[in-house]
Amino acid sequence: MRNPKMFWRILWRLLYASRGRLALAVLAVASGAAVCAALLNLDLDATDKLTREFQVLGPNVVISAAQSGDTATTIDAGVLEQIEALRLPRVVAVGPSLYLSARARAGGNSSAVILAGTWFDQAARMDSWWKVDGTWVSGRENRSDCMIGEQAASRLGLIPGQSVKIEYGSREATLRVTGIVTAGSSEDNQIFIGLPLAQELAGLGPRASLIQITAEGSAPQVEEVIRRLSLALPGLDVRPLRQLAQAEGRLLERIRGLLFGTILLILVLTSLGVLAAMAGLALERRRDVGLMKALGGSVRRIMRFFLAEATAIAFAGGVLGFMVGIALAEWIGERVFSVAITPRLVVLPATLALMVIVSVAGALPLRLLGRVRPSEILRGE
Amino acid sequence: MMAALVQVEDISKTFGGVRALDNVSFEVRAGEWIAIMGPSGSGKTTLINILGGLDRPTKGRAIVDGVNVATLGERELTRYRAEKIGFVFQSFYLVPYLSALENVMLAQYFHSVADETEAGEALARVGLGDRLDHLPSQLSGGEQQRVALARALINHPKLILADEPTGNLDEANEHIVLEILRELHRTGHTILLVTHSPEIGRMADRRIELAHGRLAHIVANVT
Repeated sequence: MRNPKMFWRILWRLLYASRGRLALAVLAVASGAAVCAALLNLDLDATDKLTREFQVLGPNVVISAAQSGDTATTIDAGVLEQIEALRLPRVVAVGPSLYLSARARAGGNSSAVILAGTWFDQAARMDSWWKVDGTWVSGRENRSDCMIGEQAASRLGLIPGQSVKIEYGSREATLRVTGIVTAGSSEDNQIFIGLPLAQELAGLGPRASLIQITAEGSAPQVEEVIRRLSLALPGLDVRPLRQLAQAEGRLLERIRGLLFGTILLILVLTSLGVLAAMAGLALERRRDVGLMKALGGSVRRIMRFFLAEATAIAFAGGVLGFMVGIALAEWIGERVFSVAITPRLVVLPATLALMVIVSVAGALPLRLLGRVRPSEILRGE
Repeated sequence: MMAALVQVEDISKTFGGVRALDNVSFEVRAGEWIAIMGPSGSGKTTLINILGGLDRPTKGRAIVDGVNVATLGERELTRYRAEKIGFVFQSFYLVPYLSALENVMLAQYFHSVADETEAGEALARVGLGDRLDHLPSQLSGGEQQRVALARALINHPKLILADEPTGNLDEANEHIVLEILRELHRTGHTILLVTHSPEIGRMADRRIELAHGRLAHIVANVT
């Protein structure tokens, strides 16, 4: 650009001279930017957090043996290798469980309990929301430690570090308690032991009662995981867990669609707001443009002022709107989704880019000034 | 004898069905001051606009400094206006939100490079050295016209086209503006000035009189 200093000088004068009308345009852009920034921030943050919250609730897919009569049968643990071979991208944890009805003794206390043989590393991922007093058991092959649900621990008078004797038929094992589990559900009455130990106690060999899976992603993505598992494991029952969460996932998808639809509508409305302000400005500027042309100003150089003006409006309105939008997103997040929203800075450049497009589109009437004939203006037509 | 700077050959201009200029021909030598006179609607402003590249003739040739303005494209006309012509209008036509200095610099900006010092000196030459930062609304009519004169001269144009430059001025300011024009003429500038005033017409080297779009007389003034 030739003469940048003079360009900015004239631009500043233009902006200052039309500050009233431009303030209206900035307000229109700021309103649009506020809603866009809020919705974009919600889309990025709230959906992410809600998805994560759904996952925190535990596994969302369960694989069990097809029911035969009244007796639930176990499944071959070799299925785990089949699942691993599928290399499903959205699966974050796979945990087999073998349940046994056993007796536990500690000190002078004795109680009937459910033994849950599991892979602790996978259980820790799937049930990260459990409150554990003490520590998780480490290692899949661990045969000396266990975790115990808080109600069972209470009946047996156990605290972390103490020992518990488990009896299943004629087989028994003595284990050290590493942690007390509070899950608020049936797990509070269970004792968690390593899967290999449970299989030894049961004398069943490498089998499991069921396999639980945590798959991340939206409802359709989880459904795809279920579909592929069902195809790969035809003799087994693959079901989604937590139908409610699935429904919420679908709702989330719909909300997302609504957010983008609203953003599109807001962009159109913002563009119309800028267009209205700029149309008035174009009429005001006819005489100045005619004069500039008479003085030897090319259409390109004159239009550059107006484009810069529209960009300045976009930036001023965009930044202002972004700040309001973040506050709006926090409010909507708390009131509508009950989620604390974290401001995402990436929303700022996205909002500014959208506002520049909208403002330049809204400034289209100023292009008509390029057709102004100086002789007509100077004749007073 | 000086070479012709302006050659107008059989120029006609029609607006709709109205013929504003009808086969007008004349020449202007470099350094001449020409007064274009005639009643309202006689085609004076149309002639000035054609020579200034603001309008195109319907027919004929308008050659200024060797360039036939009638055949120039839009881009060339823009450069032509910036480089060869200095306009002074009856209604001053200053950009209202630019200061006196910036109005002069605007012409520099479209010509080549805006030079604040040079623009300030141009305004000082027309007696406005102390009014550089004033907006047009803060200047009298005479002062505004002097800003317009400084703007017209800043790019050293070949031809100064003045359309009734004193038409909106009081007697005192008219005197100041005419003195500036007289000085410009003395320093060799070529001036085409539209006026209704016989007195101003007599200051020029020659008077071109139009009537109903036709050339009525060309009268050389005796000095």
